Amino acid sequence: MDLNNKFQNMSSDSDSKSSSLNSKVEQESESNSPTKSRRSTSSTSNEMSTVGDIKLRNKISENVPSGRSDDPPLLPGEKVQGVARDVTYLCPFSGPARGGLSVTNYKLYFKSLERDTQLVIEVPLGVVSRVEKVGGQSSRGENSYGIELFCKDMRNLRFGHKQENHSRRNVFEKLQQYAFPLSHNIPLFAFEYTETFSENGWNVYEPMAELKRMGVPNDTWHITKLNDSHDLCETYPAILAVPAGATDEIIRNAAAFRSRGRIPVLSWLHSESQATITRASQPLVGVGGKRCRDDERYTQLIVDANAQSHKLYIMDARPSANAIANKAKGGGYEPEDAYQNAELIFLDIHNIHVMRESLRKLKEICFPNIDETKWLSGIESTYWLKHIKCVLAGACRIVDKVENHKTSVLVHCSDGWDRTAQLTALAMVLLDPYYRTIKGFEVLIEKEWLSFGHKFQHRIGHGDDHHSDADRSPVFLQFIDCVWQVTCMFPNAFEFNELFLITIIDHLYSCRFGTFLFNSEKERLQKEVKQKTVSLWSYINSDQDLYKNPLYWPQQHALEPVASLRYIKMWKGLYCRWNPSMRPQEPIYQRTRELLHMKTQLIKISDDYRRELKHKASRNTSTTNRLTSPIHI
Amino acid sequence: MYRYEVALMMNERRLTNSFKSYIGLDDNEQISSCETSFIEQEFSPKLHPGETIVAEARNVYLFTPVNEEKISQSGVLFVTNFRLSFVTWREKNFEESLYQENLLLGQYDVCLSNIDIIYLLTGDKKKRIMTDHCFNDKVNGLHILCRNMRTLSYSFKSLTNGHGKKLANALLHHAFPKRHQLLFAYDYRGPNVQRRTYSTPSFRCQDDWEKELKRTKCFGWTLNSSNNKFQLSTNLPQFIVIGSAVIDNQLRIAMQHFRNERLPTWCWSTVNGAALSRKSDVVDPSNLTQENAMLEIVRKSHPCLARPFIMDLTKILPSPKDVSQSFIKLRELCAPESTRQFWVQDNHFYSLLEKSKWLQYVSSCLGSAFETAYKLNGNTSVVLQERDGRDLCCVVSSLAQLMIDSYFRSIVGLQTLIQKEWVVMGHQFCTRLGHINNTDSLKSPLLLLFLDCVWQLLQQFPTKFEFTETYLTTLWDTSHISIFDTFLFDCEQDRHHATNDGTNPLILRSIWNWEEQFLDRDLIQFHNPLYNASNAKDELLKVSTEISCLNIWTQCYYRFLPTLEISNGGKPLEDIAIRTIINESVKHSKSSQKVCTPPNIGSFFPFTHWRSSTSVPPSTLTISSLSLNTSDFQMETSLVEITEHL
Repeated sequence: MDLNNKFQNMSSDSDSKSSSLNSKVEQESESNSPTKSRRSTSSTSNEMSTVGDIKLRNKISENVPSGRSDDPPLLPGEKVQGVARDVTYLCPFSGPARGGLSVTNYKLYFKSLERDTQLVIEVPLGVVSRVEKVGGQSSRGENSYGIELFCKDMRNLRFGHKQENHSRRNVFEKLQQYAFPLSHNIPLFAFEYTETFSENGWNVYEPMAELKRMGVPNDTWHITKLNDSHDLCETYPAILAVPAGATDEIIRNAAAFRSRGRIPVLSWLHSESQATITRASQPLVGVGGKRCRDDERYTQLIVDANAQSHKLYIMDARPSANAIANKAKGGGYEPEDAYQNAELIFLDIHNIHVMRESLRKLKEICFPNIDETKWLSGIESTYWLKHIKCVLAGACRIVDKVENHKTSVLVHCSDGWDRTAQLTALAMVLLDPYYRTIKGFEVLIEKEWLSFGHKFQHRIGHGDDHHSDADRSPVFLQFIDCVWQVTCMFPNAFEFNELFLITIIDHLYSCRFGTFLFNSEKERLQKEVKQKTVSLWSYINSDQDLYKNPLYWPQQHALEPVASLRYIKMWKGLYCRWNPSMRPQEPIYQRTRELLHMKTQLIKISDDYRRELKHKASRNTSTTNRLTSPIHI
Repeated sequence: MYRYEVALMMNERRLTNSFKSYIGLDDNEQISSCETSFIEQEFSPKLHPGETIVAEARNVYLFTPVNEEKISQSGVLFVTNFRLSFVTWREKNFEESLYQENLLLGQYDVCLSNIDIIYLLTGDKKKRIMTDHCFNDKVNGLHILCRNMRTLSYSFKSLTNGHGKKLANALLHHAFPKRHQLLFAYDYRGPNVQRRTYSTPSFRCQDDWEKELKRTKCFGWTLNSSNNKFQLSTNLPQFIVIGSAVIDNQLRIAMQHFRNERLPTWCWSTVNGAALSRKSDVVDPSNLTQENAMLEIVRKSHPCLARPFIMDLTKILPSPKDVSQSFIKLRELCAPESTRQFWVQDNHFYSLLEKSKWLQYVSSCLGSAFETAYKLNGNTSVVLQERDGRDLCCVVSSLAQLMIDSYFRSIVGLQTLIQKEWVVMGHQFCTRLGHINNTDSLKSPLLLLFLDCVWQLLQQFPTKFEFTETYLTTLWDTSHISIFDTFLFDCEQDRHHATNDGTNPLILRSIWNWEEQFLDRDLIQFHNPLYNASNAKDELLKVSTEISCLNIWTQCYYRFLPTLEISNGGKPLEDIAIRTIINESVKHSKSSQKVCTPPNIGSFFPFTHWRSSTSVPPSTLTISSLSLNTSDFQMETSLVEITEHL
């Protein structure tokens, strides 16, 4: 009768739960995989029984034969900074576990050998947003004295220390230092990390090559060198595609009329219709209703560049009230009488502060415990999915105008680096099958997010201890969530799988790779990120199989997702992944690998067979038997 | 505002009949009259043997559900003794390859048994029509709400001579029969060809039970035929399996102490001898002597004489009435009346879904079933108990068996289970599905609740079941077709009487003869490409039963809302991709190097009922890839051998 009892009974054998096929995959990966030391995600505990964990355990036993069994496995460039023995990890799911806690310049590592099943907690310190002491010398009660960590990836971790000899002092200090290196004048781990990979991810995105792929330069679009040294706009990339008719003067004047000089520039060009997606920041209209002839002229050039339509849709990502309110701060939106062929549409997406608050609420309902009786209404009360729906619906409107009406669209919000990036990047994923491949998606992130100056440093707060900074916001996470929603609706349309997206999110925070560091291309150039750090894409592209969708079946046309809450769902695989009861029944990574493996086997078998057929044909032998039972070789 | 749609696809001969399609008819709008005289044969449904037309109306417009643009198509509406049939000239060719084609029902037809509520349309308003209503005034339109969540809106505005009124009255009269003998099954004279493919034991003969007892290596329980003429109980089947220690003359007395005479009867046994059985409450709660005696016999039937675990479903699960109310709320969410309502609901979808309690009920049924299966797995006998033992007992006992016995996870296995736990054990299908209009009886879609639970299992264990969600959805649809006897009766005795009626004996047609309804092309969609029979093992499926682990069954519940169809996306394409991967090996001799593009199908395939006129007609597409799968045997073997390679 007692359901709790039932689960307790179950939990003891939950680790032997994996099906036979799964275990086959595991064996497979142990014996064949050349990249044994790789992790599937950067921050998995054994609460998530993934392929990666199994590999990790292997590594420990093989590579650290002389050290203590709870010593952490280290990455090249990683050093242990502090160790505390006899620490209790207060697991919200399976109760307290005793073990050793290590802090390196990259991660926190806890391992308990106490239980039958090993418990390993590994958290890259970049994920930590706040570290706090719990209790003092006089606190009473078991485990009332210790450390608590609040993480950007939806979990909190609590450790109990012994109340003697300041047992937590050392690790606490080290945690403070290495979780927030920038606040302590220590370099980010990405600059210490020295692992080499077979692929160089910094070569993934070549701006000129990407423009060329879209057919730019051409008659109507050309490449301007005005921003070569980031003088025109310091948050834009050096290479910009603008309407061919735009003179340097027009561009300069238009830039003066756009917030932070972010003029409308080309994001995407429809190869057939020539309809475009351009992005910008808000015009500096202000309360006085200022106008700028050159900005109007420039906008008209965008209209003219598309022969199929005499109209331009300006999609202002904000709610109209916010757009109006911005006039008071000197911003605003394009008045339709000044921009004659433009139609303005507000997409009603809220600002970074609203999104941050929404994610905070989401964490409340996901971690650590889920209130089953209020699960569905709880989801609704966070508004997270409603925001996702808004972004998705906005992207769908852009796609509809570009694809079905062959009309160009200009997207902006206030500064054009948050909501604008969400919309253009998502619309591009929907429109262009290239961005649905692994490489294409990497290019998309490099281009629409990194090069166009989404302020990753401010939004994530890498290595910075100001956890309540108002600049932080899960804008990029929301974009990835939207992409995930689309992958659920179109399970065949993407070359990558869920793990790919989760890995990107993990390393958005981890600071192991240089990819998401700093706010703009200019800053990254100054800090020599490409020279001094490793790209996330090096890591991913060196073992692409892990991230491939076995059911990928490229579709050439635009995707038209349904932006209804009846479809948009909670991404449990990301937000609830620390909760063992939310683990998928047939773990998706293993199923994926299984299918992928099956596919390769099939192709191999058929290749072998075809070869043999050819061989036989050359010897002029009958092949009829083979045809009836083709599998036997 | 009003969009005139011109049907493009007509053959030359029909063109000469010069029809037009009228959309968005409004009271004030002048309708250009149709000068056409439709050719009789072309615009009547293909009648089945025994089917007769009761009423018909021409120039009827059928609207796309929940659509801002009010797209409609015109045609002729018929009421027969079997269905409400809408015959349109819209070409069928390209659609045929995409839709599940029921050989008994046209694409725009619904069986009368599927009709739940009829609304009268006046202007923008809808008025629910009770079954005793009589239409006297001109009827401008009808809105039909079906039990399977389909909605149909017809406009009769261009009808004259009271045709609309006549049709509405005929529909009202025939859609809600007051007697069982008025159901179409009694009139249907179609050929009754028994095919073998999905042949399923009926459990109407001793043999089926004996085989099942043998298969489960059951001991301690014995097949009893004392009720073979329904002399002991009118609602129990002719054969029941009871504890071996029960003596025949004790049986009659014992039965009298249980509601509906349901003393513990056997459902299933583990290899170790723990048994699953089901029973009803005792008639007189103050006298538990017989109940205790019977439970003692259950204990004795266990090889270790272990006490059984008793699960009182009445206490822990929703009542049939709860399920019914929940279903109505769920249906409101899935069959909104207007676009406006659709989006209003959408904003609060999650809390509305929670308020419907549907997933909560799914969760508790799965939970009880898992607990049952878990106990059985630990070699404890379980006795399911419910007031009358005919509703949630069926749900829980069959779910538990699915979780623990892989035999039931094949198509025929599931059918065997439904036959054994639902049909012969007297789940009141006639009452619960509402085949007969009777205000006293309580309609409650327990079968759907069960199918939803099975669907959740399928989501969590996508390789463990031979059937697909399309099969489950089709099963639900078919339970509303009044040709098959499987879901037509409340108990075996009723069925027995109907077949032995001297004046008009009913010919039994099992729903499991799927070939009567579908061609191979559609039957393929019942088979899960990821299932591998030879890999089936009897491990306990450790299902997650929390609401947070459950999903809404989009195919079954959303498919009649065209706005929700994801074009070129969804699960169907995933399935086709898997089939293609598998087929690559089967067909590799033919050097299938060519890169085939994915077919242009939507997420509701094969239940896409409306395609927007802009969608590109698919070319040769699916057929090529689907037909590869006609040989299940090949599919199986290739999978087996491939997994061996792994």
